[in-house]
Amino acid sequence: MAELVQYVATGLLVGGVYALMSIGLALIFGVMRVVNFAQGDFMMLGMYLTYFYAISGRVDPLLGALLSIPPFFVLGWLVHRGILARVTGGDPARQHDAQLIVTLGLSLVITNATTMILTPTPRGIPTSYATQAFAVGPVLLNQARSYAFAMALVLAAAVYLFLTRTDVGKALRAAADDPEAAGYQGIDVRAMHALAFGTGIALVAAAGGLLATYYPIEPTVAGNFIVLMFVAVVLGGLGSIPGAFVGGLVIGLVQSLTLLVLPFQLQNTGVFIAFLLVLYLRPQGLFGRRLRAV
Amino acid sequence: MPSRSRGWLAVGAVLAAGLVLAFLIDERYHHRVLTLVFLWATMGLAWNIISGYAGQISFGHQVFFGIGAYVTVLLVVKAGLTPWIGMGVAVAAAVLAAVLIGLPTFRLAGIYFGLATLAYPLIFRIVMDWLGYQEVAIPMKRDDPGWFMQFTEPRSFVLLALGVLGATLVLSRAIETSRLGYRLRAIRENEQAAEAMGVNAFRGKMAAYMLSATPAAVAGAVYIHAILFIVTPDAVFGLLVISQTLVVCMVGGTGTLWGPLIGAALMVPVSEILDSTVGDRLPGIQGVVYGAALVVITLYAPEGLYWRVRHALRARADRAAAVGRPPILAPADEDGARPGAGPVLLEVRGVSKAFLGLQALSEVSFEVREREILGVIGPNGAGKTTLFNVLNGFLGPEAGEVRLLGEAVTGLRPSECCRRGMGRTFQVVRTFPRFTVLENVMVGGFVRERRVGRVRELALAALAQVGMAERADALPGGLTTLELRLMELARCLATSPRVVLLDEPLAGLSADGVDVMIAMIRRVRNAGITVVIIEHTMQALLRLADRLVVLDQGRRLAEGPPGEVTRQPAVIEAYLGKRWLARAGSPS
Amino acid sequence: MTPTTARMLTVERLGVTYGGLHALAEVSLEVGAGEFVTIVGPNGAGKTTLLKAISGAVPAAEGRITYQGGDLARLRPAQRAALGIAHVPEGRRVFPSLTVMENLELGSYRKAARAGRAEALDTVLRLFPILHARRTQLAGSLSGGEQQMLALGRGLMAQPDLLLLDEPSQGLGPRIVEQIFETVDRIRRERRITILLVEQRVVEGLELCDRGYVLETGRVALEGAREALLADARVQRAYLGA
Repeated sequence: MAELVQYVATGLLVGGVYALMSIGLALIFGVMRVVNFAQGDFMMLGMYLTYFYAISGRVDPLLGALLSIPPFFVLGWLVHRGILARVTGGDPARQHDAQLIVTLGLSLVITNATTMILTPTPRGIPTSYATQAFAVGPVLLNQARSYAFAMALVLAAAVYLFLTRTDVGKALRAAADDPEAAGYQGIDVRAMHALAFGTGIALVAAAGGLLATYYPIEPTVAGNFIVLMFVAVVLGGLGSIPGAFVGGLVIGLVQSLTLLVLPFQLQNTGVFIAFLLVLYLRPQGLFGRRLRAV
Repeated sequence: MPSRSRGWLAVGAVLAAGLVLAFLIDERYHHRVLTLVFLWATMGLAWNIISGYAGQISFGHQVFFGIGAYVTVLLVVKAGLTPWIGMGVAVAAAVLAAVLIGLPTFRLAGIYFGLATLAYPLIFRIVMDWLGYQEVAIPMKRDDPGWFMQFTEPRSFVLLALGVLGATLVLSRAIETSRLGYRLRAIRENEQAAEAMGVNAFRGKMAAYMLSATPAAVAGAVYIHAILFIVTPDAVFGLLVISQTLVVCMVGGTGTLWGPLIGAALMVPVSEILDSTVGDRLPGIQGVVYGAALVVITLYAPEGLYWRVRHALRARADRAAAVGRPPILAPADEDGARPGAGPVLLEVRGVSKAFLGLQALSEVSFEVREREILGVIGPNGAGKTTLFNVLNGFLGPEAGEVRLLGEAVTGLRPSECCRRGMGRTFQVVRTFPRFTVLENVMVGGFVRERRVGRVRELALAALAQVGMAERADALPGGLTTLELRLMELARCLATSPRVVLLDEPLAGLSADGVDVMIAMIRRVRNAGITVVIIEHTMQALLRLADRLVVLDQGRRLAEGPPGEVTRQPAVIEAYLGKRWLARAGSPS
Repeated sequence: MTPTTARMLTVERLGVTYGGLHALAEVSLEVGAGEFVTIVGPNGAGKTTLLKAISGAVPAAEGRITYQGGDLARLRPAQRAALGIAHVPEGRRVFPSLTVMENLELGSYRKAARAGRAEALDTVLRLFPILHARRTQLAGSLSGGEQQMLALGRGLMAQPDLLLLDEPSQGLGPRIVEQIFETVDRIRRERRITILLVEQRVVEGLELCDRGYVLETGRVALEGAREALLADARVQRAYLGA
């Protein structure tokens, strides 16, 4: 029993960071209908920025994660303006395919350029809390993961407040719901796309910074996480932000609980099987409405 | 067909050029680059079958590449089986995998399909790691290197890869010029229109998937023996494999066998040369170049180089041809006596359909008699298009039955309804945009005939029937609204239907256009085909229809000869509101 | 239109092509400031396309649209909305995953409307008390009639100079339709907004207006003052052909 609780707790802690990553992806998909393959790579860049903050400025990675939000927001905005907004795919019907391919291209460039510049050597940020644990009864909670989890919750809550309490946040959701009707209210849908992409990138970069407190930093780290993000977002119903948040938590749990029955190397098979099952049985996600045919 | 033999000639020329190159080149490294060009072109062609022709973008095609590599190598290691036979086993395994993956995955459309395909190679990667196959080296067979595909002469690998490429080109060319090829491209261009034209989309996709798994598996097997010698999960199931495949296809252009060929010939040497010159100092330069190529090509030539060049050439020819095109004239009015009511052809009994609680159709019943023109009218949201979608199988009704020629067709796929004689056009014309007018119509012709040459004749005849023979080689993008509607009608006629369902064929036409279309529809009926037509413009229907069925809010409101129906108060009310009726009194 | 009023909106020889179809050809019409103009016509006549062309959702292939003296051609939908054109679209198009209140708030998203938001909200909730009762519900969960009220309310929140109404009666029961039209009439009397209404129901649509147009297969078939159109038998012919 204690073992089960331990696995659940570990799963939830990890899931919190997945949840933060995933809401970034869900925001981008929800508003733009673009599946961003490069999301994991921006996360990786966020890990590195937090690393450099820590190494050169002695900034605690938890703070570093926060400090990576503004530069990545700007980067995301620029990438949208400079690349994604220009992709037409020749005709509107193929625009989404074309945007998908572009983000795949971006992902390749970012991973490999990072390898070129920063070398493939894995790095880590030494912190006092990485190897400590809180003991809650018989359950041990790794301190780094606990702090990261708490920060992820705070950031997710901030996003939630932004989306539900501000005019711009509401406009963003309106643009996701019905871009045409949003235009009739004076909402500049193109600007909303840029805003969504900037915010989505900033969030995943921050999640990367949090991840860096306990996970090795290397250029190819994206590959391990992008699929987890996809799964979380599909699980939550493509584009739903609360759905993606819960989806992220579920992924953490599934990963952790898989270890109860399967060996470590097979940890992610549970996740992928869950993914395929959701796609086949409930493509609108566990919580989502069914998408209009795109 | 001169253009057909020209295509085969071009394939032969490419192979001959490859052969010449293989013997001109002497350096080992250049042989390696040439082998890679051939293998990536093969992999691109494989992907092109399912994602290019059939339009199902797969992000997991390396799964077959990996299966090819692993099965072949493991058979050498575990059973000492020669890769020449092992490859056959690997192909069988890959095709089996394609079936197992395809069965559930083709139920998903669009982005869901792409996302699902992503998961399979990842699962294989994990499983291979877990089974302890992180690194499987090919054991050296010094006594019989040729039998175990372990050539010391690098030229042998070039020739082997060229052979694989040649076979894949022949396969691709055969698909392109066959019924299957037309059908796959029709699915890509517009799946619903393809279904309505008798194409079973699921079966088409599955055939394409199985065919595309084959060269991918062979490419994987040869790649390991020629280039890597050690198979690892990351090397064959990894993201770089699919990226390389996508790059080759996107740069060159998809949906044609020349695309991956052009893409591989350009991109592989560039990246190999960069890798060999600066790769030591800049690891990852290949990935950067590939990624940048994807971004740049999508921004500036999203259709790929092949199509870019071809469209440019074509547009020039089209402009020249468009000058002085005569307008299409209405044929002489052939409307003799309206034929008497024939036997019942189509029977609709108590059909109901609801969407999210909204009752779109409730208990609609009527009959269509042979050789009549039946008009279905009704105000917005009356359920007219929904009715058509139920009739030809796009939607299953909650209750009721549709019988064609006495047989129930409720619940059949649209392709099957079409095969049984139900033709259909759409409210917004659904073209296959990258097909010529003739090819658009040919898709319909394949319902009754498999031979391409014969179908071409059939399609030309159908085009002639609607006065569009001269536009056979145009692309739909250059047609007027009238021409588009006529093309769609010809495509529908090419399926040799018993009854055609025409969804607002007069919408968006000028007054002259309406006259032409009406004359054509009469001609269709006079050729013995029954017509059911949805229309908003009542004026036209009064001239055209023998009988009207009026729908309002999903119910059948009235039925009868046009003059009578439009005088019925219930109909006037449905169209103009109750109060109009009250104001106007009884209409004169 | 009376010669003394200024022109709010002028449409000159407008042509729209839509997915290869000619939806509108040479449509010309005028709406004076403070005027109520109704366009009736059977379905497929191009009424919705006309409104979409005015608010910028579909591009005009030919012709000119002038609003308060300025050419709209180069403005995107959001920019046109910012100028005070509020479009209440066909089929309601409320934001289904937002609450009723959020939908209303977004109605006054344009800068010029933000200051008057509280006052406008008061007015709208007075017009449609049911929206107050439903304010925390998701708009997607409302009934068709309530959604129409919400769409109308959202349009009013913009405190527009020109209100475009696209078939507010579509798919609704007779009682609700009556209520909607009554409210439109009240809005018009109380607020003196210029209104361009598109409607399939002839009498309900025309009774409210000062002047009307009959659209038939993409062209203006008839135009005239309210009473003249209501008495014109050619209107019925436009719908039923006989």
